[in-house]
Amino acid sequence: MARGFKRRHGRYVATLDAVERGLVVGLMEQVLELIEPEQAPSGDGAPGADGADGPYGPGGESGGDEFDQIVAGLGGIGMGVSLSAADQAPELTGSFPRDRDPALERIFPTANREDDQIAAEFRRLTEGGLRDRKSANLTTAIRALSGIEDQKISLEQPQALALLIALTDVRLVLGERLGLQRDDDFDLLEEQVSGLPPDDPAVYALAVYDFLTWLQETLAHALTP
Amino acid sequence: MNVGSPRQPKVVAVPSAFPIMTSTAVMSIAPVEQKSASTDELTEVDVPWITLVWNDPVNLMSYVTFVFQSYFGYSKSKAERLMMDVHVKGRAVVSTGARERMETDTEALQGYGLWATFQKDD
Repeated sequence: MARGFKRRHGRYVATLDAVERGLVVGLMEQVLELIEPEQAPSGDGAPGADGADGPYGPGGESGGDEFDQIVAGLGGIGMGVSLSAADQAPELTGSFPRDRDPALERIFPTANREDDQIAAEFRRLTEGGLRDRKSANLTTAIRALSGIEDQKISLEQPQALALLIALTDVRLVLGERLGLQRDDDFDLLEEQVSGLPPDDPAVYALAVYDFLTWLQETLAHALTP
Repeated sequence: MNVGSPRQPKVVAVPSAFPIMTSTAVMSIAPVEQKSASTDELTEVDVPWITLVWNDPVNLMSYVTFVFQSYFGYSKSKAERLMMDVHVKGRAVVSTGARERMETDTEALQGYGLWATFQKDD
């Protein structure tokens, strides 16, 4: 049973079993792949050796694959959820490529809504650095949760902060994939899937999102002075 | 996804057992009249720019408050007031100053994953 983060003697401790840690690490790796600097234009090959179980993986136990596809943005969970860029951010100014992944637009949002040129200049000057820092941060968080044998996690403040921010990036991407646009969308989605079996990919995706929300909430409270 | 097993029954079971939800986290804090950040100190001529943070359904109230405290060094009560403004009014002015400074703030807040923008203070 997972236990959320608490501050103990200047460290940040939680209990997560191997499956839970693997889930969080796997999602952070996917987000890292999404925002890493110098993205290779995705051809048809799988990105890396550690993506062995990637979104294009063979069917088989379909639950995991369908969940992967939701995270990867390849397939929605239906029920009126839209993944299109136009629907995600109707008031944005268009200073980003139209075919850009909407999750990226959420992570690197148009920074000036009144002036396309200023927004484009800001993006040109800052996005590389933001990608670098977020990637480094995700890498720190991935390392912090990897290679642990015990269920107990004990982080120093910098690692805890990296994980806190990394969880934000993961939830932003997952939230975008789930189509969360308004504050009550999560509850509405939960209602919509309430009749479905617990192993349905949509139910699973919402449960994962909820789990990440809970974990981040405990960490945010533990870190707040 | 790199998780070994195709299902995570424990994870599925876990969340509903925890009585947390984003919207109730800081609800005991009464919303305070809007009072934009740093307005009191504005005497210079070159300060017609603002940094805004917009509401989004993902970021936690506790996290947004944490970011306002740790990045700006705002007091907890000021950070919570701004967070509630974002939550209730849809956006809040979180800093005011010269354009370059607002660009720095926007970049930093985007680094935290907040939906931050900057613009002229019309």
